[in-house]
Amino acid sequence: MYRYWKKRFATTLEQDEELEAIKKELKKLVKKKFGGSLAIRMVDSGSCNACEAECNALSNPYYNLEELGIHFVASPRHADVMFLSGVMTFNMYHHAIDCYNQIPSPKWVIAIGDCVKDLGVFEKTYAIKGNSIEVTHYIINCPPSPKDIIYGLLKFAKKV
Amino acid sequence: MRLIARFAQELQNGIEIVDVYDKEVQKSLLSFESLKIETLTKKYPSAIWMERKINDEFGVEFIDSFDTRPLIKHEHFPSDIYPLRKDFNATEINFTEYKPYDYEAIGGDGVFQVAVGPIHAGIIEPGHFQFSQAGEEILHLEIRHFYKYRAIEKMCEGKEPMNIKKIVERISGNESVAYQIAYVEILAQASNTEIPKSLKQKYSTLLEVERIIHHLTDIGFIANDVGFAPALALGSKLSEEARRVFAKITGHRFGFGAIKEEITIDFGSLIEFLNYLEKELEFFRDWIYDIPSVWDRFDTTGKLSVEKAIKYGVVGVGARASGVKVDARDNDFYKNFGYQMQLGKKGEVSDRFKLRFNEIFNSIEMIKNFETYDNEGLEFGNFKDGEYSAFTESSIGELFMYLKIENGLVDRFFVRDPSFINWQAFHTTIYKDIIADFPLINKSFDLSYAGSDL
Ligand code: SF4
Repeated sequence: MYRYWKKRFATTLEQDEELEAIKKELKKLVKKKFGGSLAIRMVDSGSCNACEAECNALSNPYYNLEELGIHFVASPRHADVMFLSGVMTFNMYHHAIDCYNQIPSPKWVIAIGDCVKDLGVFEKTYAIKGNSIEVTHYIINCPPSPKDIIYGLLKFAKKV
Repeated sequence: MRLIARFAQELQNGIEIVDVYDKEVQKSLLSFESLKIETLTKKYPSAIWMERKINDEFGVEFIDSFDTRPLIKHEHFPSDIYPLRKDFNATEINFTEYKPYDYEAIGGDGVFQVAVGPIHAGIIEPGHFQFSQAGEEILHLEIRHFYKYRAIEKMCEGKEPMNIKKIVERISGNESVAYQIAYVEILAQASNTEIPKSLKQKYSTLLEVERIIHHLTDIGFIANDVGFAPALALGSKLSEEARRVFAKITGHRFGFGAIKEEITIDFGSLIEFLNYLEKELEFFRDWIYDIPSVWDRFDTTGKLSVEKAIKYGVVGVGARASGVKVDARDNDFYKNFGYQMQLGKKGEVSDRFKLRFNEIFNSIEMIKNFETYDNEGLEFGNFKDGEYSAFTESSIGELFMYLKIENGLVDRFFVRDPSFINWQAFHTTIYKDIIADFPLINKSFDLSYAGSDL
């Protein structure tokens, strides 16, 4: 069964050398700096949902982030890192901060997408607060592709 | 008649309530001294959110409404402002003291509440689900959204129509192409021109590719929600491949900015991919249709009855899986290119799952017929003042968009995402199920939060 699926996937997956190199380096750093396991809690503070879709894509067979020891976790209390996307709406503000406060230290925040940084194409309205949580590393683009995110994770891992 | 939207706009001499039905549009002008109007909620339950939104944003009272709780004004939101009124211009407001929200809840011996959200366990958008439970069985569910409320409508006001295109295409990322098409159609109407046929074929091609990607993603995730992970691996692999092809032909993985006045599509490589996809999907279908433990969970779960679907005016995949014939593509243009409406029978998770397969096959067929190398473009002239509206069938369902231009600027922009309707009918599908089935049912509809919250 395993071999059957392996064959089925192996024949159609395109290889991206550059991505493989980034992943290899990232895996090493995760091992060295985070004991081989980096847990991420994703919080959407008012995105258009494309940023979430790209983070979901990180688990598909092309990117397979889990093999590097990086997982998305269900509870902030299990997390090392918060992924934050969206413009930080008035209505999400307290919830996002609650979530951040629930993450045990040491903790880091990685911003996903232009929205967090400067609202992207959106403009300030009464319903948008804008982010005030301290961000360790920004991964920009609208949305950043899964490859951008993996590369961003590498930069983050080098930084901390 | 099916209610599509009820929304408000401020005019010189009062506030106008616009009721859009599938057969007609009714308008009522309310004077500023007496902002009151009869509720529609008794006949059309999906008017509940529409009216609560109008009340929050314009301060209009709905006579005899049974639900007058705030909708977009959450616990810390000032209740004394009406932000969509023209005299409201603040871009910063302060948090007020916490006012608890009065959730719908069922009481009784042993009945308890389960509050889920707004932040969920997976990588999904925020929204709140309040369950009244008797053990594992769900007695009631209230869905509460608008955590992502960004006030897109207000953001667009006072701008040049061309300048809000980039905002409109980012209202709901996974329906971006549908939003763009609706908007370009409106702009074409406003400049009194028509979208040439070959360009329309190209737009429709991109819309169908968007649908294919959305359905592929869902097929994987729905099966994953019954614990069948290999389907997620295959589904997400195929959707990634489709997204890469989409990026190649539009320059963007989600097609942001793809619907332009002139486009060229490399149909050759697109169709080559679709031929491959068709084969993969046939394999996928034959394989998963044969796994009884999956269908054991899909069948009888999350049933949306025909009666409820019609009563709530449900649209899109949700409606068609229950056998209700609504689809904005149900017209001659699409039929000429091989459109066939796909319908389910019972409105269960299994129907919505199968429907997605069938729709992908139909979309592939249509795209092959859409192939064109004509290079007709579209030219916008001056946008004339007036009111315009458009419909598109996004990957979720029927999208309705409205634009009013005054003095060359956007005076009112309104959009009713298909999710806005379908979320309201959602709670009718869970009464025979247990709470553990909820994520599965939710995924089988796969509605947008961003589009609904605006
Ligand atoms: S950065 Fe772009 S893709 Fe991400 S949420 Fe904002 S608008 Fe959407």
